[in-house]
Amino acid sequence: MDDLNVKNPPALKQFIPTPPRPPRQSKSGIFGTIRQRCFNSIGNSVLTLCVVAVLFYLVKHVLDWAVFNAVFIADNRRQCMDISPDGACWAGVISWFNGLIYGRFPVDEQWRVNVGVLLGLVWLLPLMSKRIPLRNVILLSWIGLYPFVGAYLFLGGRFGAELGWIHGVMTCLALAFLTIIYVNWILSALGKKGLNELFVPLVSRFVERRIHLLSFVAVWLLIALVMALVLNQVSLEPVAIERWGGLFLTFIIASFAITMAIPIGVVLALGRRSKLPVIHWLSMTVIELVRSVPLITVLFMAVTLLPIFLPADVEFNKLAQVLVAVCIFAGAYMAENIRGGLQAIPKGQYEAAATLGLGYLHTMALIILPQALRMMIPNIMTSFISLLKDTTLVSIIGLFDIMLMARNIANDKDWVGMHTEPLVMISVLFFLFCYSMSQYSLTLEKRLKVDR
Amino acid sequence: MKKFSLALAATTTLLAANSYADESASTLSAVKDRGYVNCVIGNSFPGFYSLNKAGEWQGMDIDMCRGVASAVFGDASKVTFLPVQWAQSFTSIKSGQGDILSKGMTWTLSRDTQQGLDFLDTYFYDGQGFMVRKDLGVKSVKELKGATVCVLTGTSSELNIADYSRANDLDIKTVVFDDSSVRNTAFFNNNCDALTNDKSGLAAQRSAAPNPSDYVILPETISKEALSFAVKQNDSEWANVVKWTFAAMVAAEEFGVNSQNVEQMRADSQSPVVRRLLGVEGDLHVGLGLPQDWAYQVIKNVGNYGEVYERNVGVNSVLGLDRDGTLNALWTDGGMMYAKSFR
Repeated sequence: MDDLNVKNPPALKQFIPTPPRPPRQSKSGIFGTIRQRCFNSIGNSVLTLCVVAVLFYLVKHVLDWAVFNAVFIADNRRQCMDISPDGACWAGVISWFNGLIYGRFPVDEQWRVNVGVLLGLVWLLPLMSKRIPLRNVILLSWIGLYPFVGAYLFLGGRFGAELGWIHGVMTCLALAFLTIIYVNWILSALGKKGLNELFVPLVSRFVERRIHLLSFVAVWLLIALVMALVLNQVSLEPVAIERWGGLFLTFIIASFAITMAIPIGVVLALGRRSKLPVIHWLSMTVIELVRSVPLITVLFMAVTLLPIFLPADVEFNKLAQVLVAVCIFAGAYMAENIRGGLQAIPKGQYEAAATLGLGYLHTMALIILPQALRMMIPNIMTSFISLLKDTTLVSIIGLFDIMLMARNIANDKDWVGMHTEPLVMISVLFFLFCYSMSQYSLTLEKRLKVDR
Repeated sequence: MKKFSLALAATTTLLAANSYADESASTLSAVKDRGYVNCVIGNSFPGFYSLNKAGEWQGMDIDMCRGVASAVFGDASKVTFLPVQWAQSFTSIKSGQGDILSKGMTWTLSRDTQQGLDFLDTYFYDGQGFMVRKDLGVKSVKELKGATVCVLTGTSSELNIADYSRANDLDIKTVVFDDSSVRNTAFFNNNCDALTNDKSGLAAQRSAAPNPSDYVILPETISKEALSFAVKQNDSEWANVVKWTFAAMVAAEEFGVNSQNVEQMRADSQSPVVRRLLGVEGDLHVGLGLPQDWAYQVIKNVGNYGEVYERNVGVNSVLGLDRDGTLNALWTDGGMMYAKSFR
């Protein structure tokens, strides 16, 4: 020890703290802050001034065009130009607004789209509340049953006739399920037993096991029967699929692809990690093939090549072809996202599951996938957002989505040559949707504590 | 392996038989079974096929297809419009997806012979022209020596202008675009001296200009663009239906029958040609396989050729094309619209 003391300079022996830095002098008030941050040297002052000048120039021109010189009320583009030649002509967008939203859906029937979309949202609303049990079942019911209700509202026809009786039965079951969800929600808020318990005393007389499930089924069928009797009186004007369009069609394609992407992606990702060679190579082929081809080519192949290969009397409608193409495309991308999540799960998790005696399915469903999916939420959401934007490509193959409707405004006889305003309008709409999706993903991450 | 090849052979034969059956099947009976006509159009072109804000198709090509639907079913609404891309135009007819191609397609020799189509009748004679700013003071294309011209790339316009420039030693410089809206904006921002397109298209673009009276369309027409219907090759039964539906519209104009007076003409007219046209006497419908009042339905639901022209591309429409003295006038007025005899 003594030797050491001699070798080391004595200054190191004791700790001399550097004096703490004084707290930053904060000039009170907003002007102080600005001066400190933007004008603290000559160079920075010049930069600040330049940026302000550019910003002012841009904002002024944009506002001049979009607001101050814009025309909001006019009968056609010529009038717009007579009133104000260098402003936006929002009158055209306003007059075509319904067209942009509903596409070519007949004007008198557009309420059905509203009702259908609203029903879909109402169905999903309980997912927001943490008090509701079995939220997964509600989500699954939405995926499995809601499309029948939606299809009936959007396609119309006499109930159970045009779309077939199976479709009619499913619609009744779907509406009955929705009713049960909401009645149960209200009853549970009132502190009463759920609707599905209604028949428990009755059922328990006949059977001993699965009393609650059977009671639920009984209530469900009963309400469905009532629904069927009511709906039997209803007859909606039939609307051909060719007339679907606008934002409505964009939403249908995007929500279909978003819902199907996860299951397809999970299957493909698990398949790719499978040790069985056939499954492994099949999944890999699908993923790599689809991922290496642009979406537009997949769409073109689905629409132009299929009819040539298939015999002429097999007639697919274009929307179905597009939906299949988009789903496979989204699924392939999703598979790689999910595989990334799967690879990030430490081996210990698999071993722990094996120790508990869980088989493959249980290990995946209960241990691995929930963690993998949660970890991948930002990536999955990114995929969804780009998917929503990619759906505008279907306009190229002639589906009247919002993009094609916007392009059609420029060819309408009243608004010939109006290209810019509809595109600006669409950009704003897409920004709103995509931004709210990314915000939703952030809240989801917080709620599920992704970064824990 | 043997089994497999047998199955393969059987499948191929089946497929071949199937496609053979398709080609020999008559379009008219297929249309009647289906209950509506499939009409192939393009994505949008003002005056010829465009959507209005209620989502209904309108335009000259649209009216022609509605005419065929009226002839077959007596109902102008029994038609579905299939908007397709340029590349799909021919295949959609060949594959049987569409019954009539009515999308402002120019009748050319190569299209007629190499695409498996039969062109029938020209319903609109168009041609390539030039639009310039009025203040240039140009009166003729011949004065456009060394001028820059905005043109869409990959179109026949681009080829025509090269031919014309070479033939007349004009040394025209083309500025090419692949999007018509960008091309128009470039022209209106004075990035080129002239804009070239089919004359009907020029009229539409002029009407979209900030100030239409600042621009003039030069008188020369440098190409032949005969916009015509086409149907699948070798189906003369169906070709007859389309051909004579159009002929009925032209003949009705010639005889002074229109959608307003057709009811009264059918009841009162003493003219034998009108009576034959409207199916009051004679049995012209039998050969066509159509109902007796087919031509009456066409005129009543859609109108005669003149009405269709004025409604969609005429002076008071957005294109504002004056019909007098053009090839689209009736033959009696010196044009090319000439219906063959209803006899």
